[in-house]
Amino acid sequence: MTKRGRLPLIAAVFVLVVILAVGLGSVWIAPWNVVRLLLWKAHLTGRPAGVPLTDQVILLQLRLPRVLLAAIVGAGLAVAGAVFQTLFSNPMADPAIIGVSSGAALGAIAVILAGWGAALGGSATAAAAFAGALLTALLVYRLARIGPAVQVGTLLLAGIAVAAVISSVITLVMAMSGQEVRSIYFWLLGGLGAASWQQVGEAGIPIAAGVVVVALSVANLNLMALGEERAGQLGLDIEGFKRLLLASGSLLAAAAVSVAGLIGFVGLMTPHIMRRIVGPDHRRLLPASILGGATFMVLADLVARTVVSPEEIPVGAVTALLGGPFFIYLLRRERRRAGARA
Amino acid sequence: MTAVRAAATDEGLELRSVTAGYGARAVLHEVSLEVRPGEIVGLIGPNGSGKTTLVRVASRGLRPTAGQVLVGGMDPYAVPSRTAARLAAVVPQEFTPAFSFTVFEVVLMGRSPFLSAWSSGGPDDWAIARSAMAAANVQHLADRPTDELSGGERQRVVLAQALAQSTRVLILDEPTTHLDPGHMLDAMAVARRLAHRDGAAVLTVFHDLNLASAFCDRIHAMDRGRVLASGSPGEVIETGLIRRLYGVDADVTRAPRTGRPTVTFAAASEAEATSRARVHVVGGAGSGAALMRGLAERGFEVTVGVLHGTDTDEDVAARLDLRRVSVPAFAPIDDAAAREAAGLMADAWAIVVCDPPFGAGNVANLRLALDAARAGHLAYLVQGSPIEGRDFTGGEATALWTDLAANATVVATDADALEAVTRDHRRSEAAG
Repeated sequence: MTKRGRLPLIAAVFVLVVILAVGLGSVWIAPWNVVRLLLWKAHLTGRPAGVPLTDQVILLQLRLPRVLLAAIVGAGLAVAGAVFQTLFSNPMADPAIIGVSSGAALGAIAVILAGWGAALGGSATAAAAFAGALLTALLVYRLARIGPAVQVGTLLLAGIAVAAVISSVITLVMAMSGQEVRSIYFWLLGGLGAASWQQVGEAGIPIAAGVVVVALSVANLNLMALGEERAGQLGLDIEGFKRLLLASGSLLAAAAVSVAGLIGFVGLMTPHIMRRIVGPDHRRLLPASILGGATFMVLADLVARTVVSPEEIPVGAVTALLGGPFFIYLLRRERRRAGARA
Repeated sequence: MTAVRAAATDEGLELRSVTAGYGARAVLHEVSLEVRPGEIVGLIGPNGSGKTTLVRVASRGLRPTAGQVLVGGMDPYAVPSRTAARLAAVVPQEFTPAFSFTVFEVVLMGRSPFLSAWSSGGPDDWAIARSAMAAANVQHLADRPTDELSGGERQRVVLAQALAQSTRVLILDEPTTHLDPGHMLDAMAVARRLAHRDGAAVLTVFHDLNLASAFCDRIHAMDRGRVLASGSPGEVIETGLIRRLYGVDADVTRAPRTGRPTVTFAAASEAEATSRARVHVVGGAGSGAALMRGLAERGFEVTVGVLHGTDTDEDVAARLDLRRVSVPAFAPIDDAAAREAAGLMADAWAIVVCDPPFGAGNVANLRLALDAARAGHLAYLVQGSPIEGRDFTGGEATALWTDLAANATVVATDADALEAVTRDHRRSEAAG
């Protein structure tokens, strides 16, 4: 099968996973009924007969917003990961690993604890998260860059150091404020338990905007992957494009963090796996990462809310459980490659 | 690509008294050169003579601090990057994409200055990419990922990518470094055909003088950021210039078939090349050990001091049986030792100051070296780490070091110092 021909397959997997995920939970809703309810809501058919009203409410008010939010967050994180990996010319970049997610969290927490969140609503939190993410991305980029590219080691160390400082600042801020600490702590671990249609909109709009910006830049992302100097020789305005990538990557990561908390490794793993499947060309990699990230996140959230039901485990713990070993595998492979080159 | 030989000079590449560098350091000094349509011009010169910097300036990678660059009659720094990429294409020395694109994808990216954001190019672009792959002899690799290729194959891929830009100006930065002789000649034949048949202006950096001689219409020889000589291969490549450029002896004969100069290097042993010139090393704390050993191995007479007893450098100097000025451990440098060291510096062919930490015990060494350098002595300064971090005198050493840097050749490592001393000494021998 050609690499282009694999995209519809990835899309089909995503649709199946969504239908399965909205059906699974304390109450089982059969896939057939899920499809019929969705078709009715999309005004394509009449109200399906024989589907209990409770199923309808559970599906439309509880499960669907949560699954869609997971999909949006996953897509946003995956695209942010792809953007940062290309920007840093480094396949180990990920919004959580390089500290951008922590920066977003710090911005959001500061606003929440200062009480401005309640006064100004979700948009103030989101704006603060974006500011925090952007500042962190700039800082890490400046710190990690030596010469034409960002070395794996320097990037990881700069990211870890910056993330550690931000984490301790978050802890400090929380300890001093003394309020809502438990809920914020749970949020830091990453979770979609509070999903609602309103959150779907709050995260969906900035993530859609970020994805559009990235989608308009796919050819330039390909050039950027050849190295900065070469991209410039092939006609790319490097400095302007780097600013665009920093801003759009930070926007995507911040929008994801402000509704779902800190969720690591989605941005690292998804572009990698998708490059294996559809190749590195961003014209295919971008749609594949959107679908792949969404699928991965929906599955991770499904695990988070069903394995110890009625309790939930933080979805960040689920992604880390899968992502940690993957990260180690990648790190070893990158080091082997660097060794082979040297 | 049609066989039109353009006559207008505004289709070529021109540098008008260009000065450029990194930070405050100028690497090119008022360099002027011209590559006309239909000719292939070579750049030769030793490492660090500014060839690669010139390529970056010409390819919109480094804005000159003075002077002007003209590509196809336009200042590339005054037009958008995309426009500049339609005027001139560059083949870099190294090409390592971060992700494993296929060869065809990479070559097709050479068309990007002509394509919109989402377009993968039309049939015309694919045809141009394919003929570029054929010209660079990589068409059989079209579907292979670039990270599985050898260095030579990658170099041909990036040549194909540059060819796909279909520009009137082509700049090649040592394009044959990783190529075997067969592919090397193929690549140069492509460049020559582009100039002679298609009328492009081609500028190429060469390490291999024979390759430059065989393929160039004209050659510019660069040294320390300046153009030292320009002309046809026959005019430029001759024994005297090679000695001035590289500090080595070479025989230049004429190739039987083409009449072009052919260079054979005389393999003089390193120890023979130097006639026991004396170099005085100011070290301490092991900073001079490698340099003393290297200089001694290359046939220099080495003196060292002032050192302190039990110091690593003192130990190494003793084992190499070098003449040295020493004072006991922890003692300051007394007048007798200072006079003796000053005498050694005054008679030495050159002085090298290494980068030990400086305290009250050894800061006098800097004063002595500064006096000698101010008196016009040839001096080298190894600046491995910033002086501020090694200054335990409360600022005195930093002040002396800064003065010294203004009066000496500053190098980054002791290996660089060794190379600089050896090279300059060969040159002075050649000149004398």
